[in-house]
Amino acid sequence: MTWRPGWRIPDLPGRLPLLSAFDGLFFSYYHMVMEHIGYISTAPNLDAIFAALADSTRRAILTRLSHGQASVNEIAEPFEISQPAVSKHLKVLERAGLVEREIDEQRRPAKLKADNLAAAVAWLTDFRELWNSSFDQLDVLLSEMKQINQQGEHGE
Amino acid sequence: MSEKPEFVMEREFDAPRELVWRAWTEPEFLARWYGPNVETVIHEFDLKPGGQWLHEMKMGENSHFVKIEFQEIQPPERISWLESGVDSNWNNAPNPMMPDWPGTLSTTVTFEDAGEKTNMRFVWAPHEATDAQVAAFVGAKDNLGGGWGSGFGIMDEILAELQA
Repeated sequence: MTWRPGWRIPDLPGRLPLLSAFDGLFFSYYHMVMEHIGYISTAPNLDAIFAALADSTRRAILTRLSHGQASVNEIAEPFEISQPAVSKHLKVLERAGLVEREIDEQRRPAKLKADNLAAAVAWLTDFRELWNSSFDQLDVLLSEMKQINQQGEHGE
Repeated sequence: MSEKPEFVMEREFDAPRELVWRAWTEPEFLARWYGPNVETVIHEFDLKPGGQWLHEMKMGENSHFVKIEFQEIQPPERISWLESGVDSNWNNAPNPMMPDWPGTLSTTVTFEDAGEKTNMRFVWAPHEATDAQVAAFVGAKDNLGGGWGSGFGIMDEILAELQA
């Protein structure tokens, strides 16, 4: 089937107010969600955050830091990896804005920056929810299509 | 990252497979449910391998454009396409907010006949992506598939901490 160029979808009844929470927001899933969470103008670098989170050791380091700040020594202890390796991971986390290091103490403990992590997790959560919203709308459409089909059969 | 990362969603629909197929392949139905609940203009819809689906989502004065190129079409079992973020001239363009988000995603949807119901499997994967794009996608999909695991645990702890 070839669709006519510029054919406009009429405002069909039965569209769900499912995403009304996003009214006034724009525009792709990703963009919408970032506006939704209030990061449109001060967006943390989500690319860097996701790249940082793609590594299991770095996620474990974040878990450790969620219990409180820790020095490189303390972080390295349970991981069986060298301190330089931990430092390297910390640098990645730091560049992503997920971790900050104290500068005024000799042991330079690392500390979780919760806001940026929260932004990333919120983005991911809503991303999945947006797909589910679409599929919920599909559910409603399918039930209408079923009814129309049945009426058609009875009518003949 | 030699293995291709995938984001998978599975769902059962309470309708026979033929109806589900129509809802996925006829533009007047797609516009009803596909994507966020905004005004939708389908500029082109040519359901054949290599055919294009040009999709505009309007929100006030702004529009978001997606170009889809159909690959496999096997009614009523399987459909796949390549999906790219584009500018208003339908030329490929990076996502303004996420330059490392893969420019093109491959979408594969399969429908399994379960009598009066249909089981759908939806798979998204980066297509010809750079390492950075794959990393951005992996960061997203690991969590989306539940594999990120500790991520939400971390969030719970952080939220508890912030509320304390």
